[in-house]
Amino acid sequence: MSVQTPDRMASLRRLLAAAAKVYQDRSRIALEVARATGLSPEGVEAGFGCLERDATDAELRLLIESAGEAERVHVILAANVFVAPLRALALALAASSSVTVRPSSRDPALTRALVAAWGDGTILVAPDRDVATVGGGEIHVYGRDSTVAAVRAAARPGVVVRGHGAGMGAAIVSQRADIDAAASAIAEDVMLFDQRGCLSPRVVIAEGNPARGEALAAALHASLERWGERVPRGVLDESERAEAAGWVQTLAFAGKAWIGRDHAVGLVTLGAPLGVPPVGRHLLVTTRKSIEEGWACLAPLSRFLVCVGTDMPGHFEATVPGVRVALLGRMQRPPLDGPVDRRSL
Amino acid sequence: MDAHRQSEELHERARAMVRAFEHGAPMPETFDALAVDLDRFQHAHVEGYARLCAARGVDPRSIVRAEQAPAVPTDAFRLARVFAFDEVEARVVFRTSGTTVPPRGVHAFRDLRAYDAAALAFGRRMLACDVEDRVPVLVLGPDEKEAIDSSLAHMCALFARAFGALESADRTFFLRGGALRVDDFRRRVSDLARTKPAIVLATSFALVHLLEAIGGEVLALPEGSRVMQTGGFKGRSREVAADDLRRAVAAAFGVDLRSVVSEYGMTELSSQLWEATLVDPRAAHGVYVEPPWMRVVPVEPETLAPVADGEVGVARIEDLANVDSAFAILALDRVRRVAGGIELLGRVPGATPRGCSIALDEMLAPPGLGR
Repeated sequence: MSVQTPDRMASLRRLLAAAAKVYQDRSRIALEVARATGLSPEGVEAGFGCLERDATDAELRLLIESAGEAERVHVILAANVFVAPLRALALALAASSSVTVRPSSRDPALTRALVAAWGDGTILVAPDRDVATVGGGEIHVYGRDSTVAAVRAAARPGVVVRGHGAGMGAAIVSQRADIDAAASAIAEDVMLFDQRGCLSPRVVIAEGNPARGEALAAALHASLERWGERVPRGVLDESERAEAAGWVQTLAFAGKAWIGRDHAVGLVTLGAPLGVPPVGRHLLVTTRKSIEEGWACLAPLSRFLVCVGTDMPGHFEATVPGVRVALLGRMQRPPLDGPVDRRSL
Repeated sequence: MDAHRQSEELHERARAMVRAFEHGAPMPETFDALAVDLDRFQHAHVEGYARLCAARGVDPRSIVRAEQAPAVPTDAFRLARVFAFDEVEARVVFRTSGTTVPPRGVHAFRDLRAYDAAALAFGRRMLACDVEDRVPVLVLGPDEKEAIDSSLAHMCALFARAFGALESADRTFFLRGGALRVDDFRRRVSDLARTKPAIVLATSFALVHLLEAIGGEVLALPEGSRVMQTGGFKGRSREVAADDLRRAVAAAFGVDLRSVVSEYGMTELSSQLWEATLVDPRAAHGVYVEPPWMRVVPVEPETLAPVADGEVGVARIEDLANVDSAFAILALDRVRRVAGGIELLGRVPGATPRGCSIALDEMLAPPGLGR
């Protein structure tokens, strides 16, 4: 344990307390978050449920270990789900006691609220800070790969840039899983943030025969229908709607599609190539004869995979380094033990 | 009638349209008449198309106009088989550019005669209608043998054979192993007889590379020469605005600006659109015309209903030469119907990121060649 660790643990506990306070007062910023994210008010409320407000000491120790040491850290939040600033600040505080943050220009509410709740001005919000003026330490950037690359290119020599890019999730449902329970859990993972998170599943692999895949797709459709009533999907912009319409047409050709008011589920046959659906509560289901075949068919997507949800996480823990493995229904709630995205960018 | 004979008959009807166009004769039948029969044939023999029709609630028996037929999204060519014959009958398979995530789109052909007839007839009209003799054809692209699954390489080879002076491949194709043979091209241009025009066929990215390689040098083509450019940049070179590239190309080859014409084609199609600046004094660059057996209909991306002339929609393209695949396709290109033709406005832009979920356009960023 580093000599810094007790201080860092204290900082992290303090940040979690700030998060709890923000959560308590979430109605103050909920409307602003809804406007910025396009989520429905119910979607914002559901998303707030994923804001980390607690962690075990063991998790925080892992987080500190993953963060390393830095003289100072400048955090750039560009494209992320609205609760992501908490973990971003936690990683920065785990690495350094000197932290500045540039909030997402589109969605600054939670960052500002967390910094305000933190209170003593030691985390500075620096919305206009130019990357080229960061004179040492680290930059933690959360955004598209192109944003990460642009920050790397603009950073001064000697400044370490840690990039957290865009990604996606996938779910693998074993033969032994109960179809309805699995569908219900996956649907919750999809509903949260309207699938705009890098942990959100976009592809579901069912172990078994095509009939099992079809049953799972139908159950997902029913579950997403129910979630749509409780937590309506937010606004999709024009491009997203166009992508969704095109995807549904493609699925109608290449397989089968179940179309709901706020979602769509597609099914392709055994062995068919995977076409990743657009965000906005769209899922592609396919079947493979074994878990191993299921994992193999994700190989072309492996560089984008941040999280795999499954009913049998123990099966994967050792085999998929760099990818978070979570229980179905828990994909959006990873422990606060390091970056959400474990890929090295 | 069995599928093979039906296909043969439909191919012949498509070719008859092309022949009528070549001879300036009236079309032997209406666009809709052939479209409706293609729709029924494809519904019966392309499994996915039957599913798409069912999902859209369309009964091909009730269709009387082309626009009533569901269009097949181009992505379907990546994810499913879009052909009306057994795989073993495929004579040629064209594939779309590579993307970072496989698979590539596949357009398989059992019979290329309609493709070749359509490409040649309209290509000749738009690029070589005033060229009476065989002329030198220089391709800033690979030999067909080097790119056997490229529809563009096939089309260029077709043009080289039809319009060209039967030169060797070395003196015709100037991209080998992905590298532009700039010195060979320079020598070839300087060797050209000044009494005959030449035709240069090139992708935009190859032209950009050539311009960079030759700096400000002028590789003057003989009088009356023309340049066909096609394809976007697709990450292969720095992007250059279309007008700037056209001006630079015209200057580099010493040709009139109106003699630099753009062609637009897709792996998923059998016919192409062309700018008409070489053949129509009123035509403007950036406006593409269709042959009579092809229609581009801008449609609203969600409802897929046609938009009014002058409004931007995504491209629903009906191509009667697509006999054995999908005569109506839906591309994610934005288009607008204007006086004189169709404006191509580029891909539908990806959504503004509102999260860290990977966007489809990022995932499918193509590293490869044109179509």
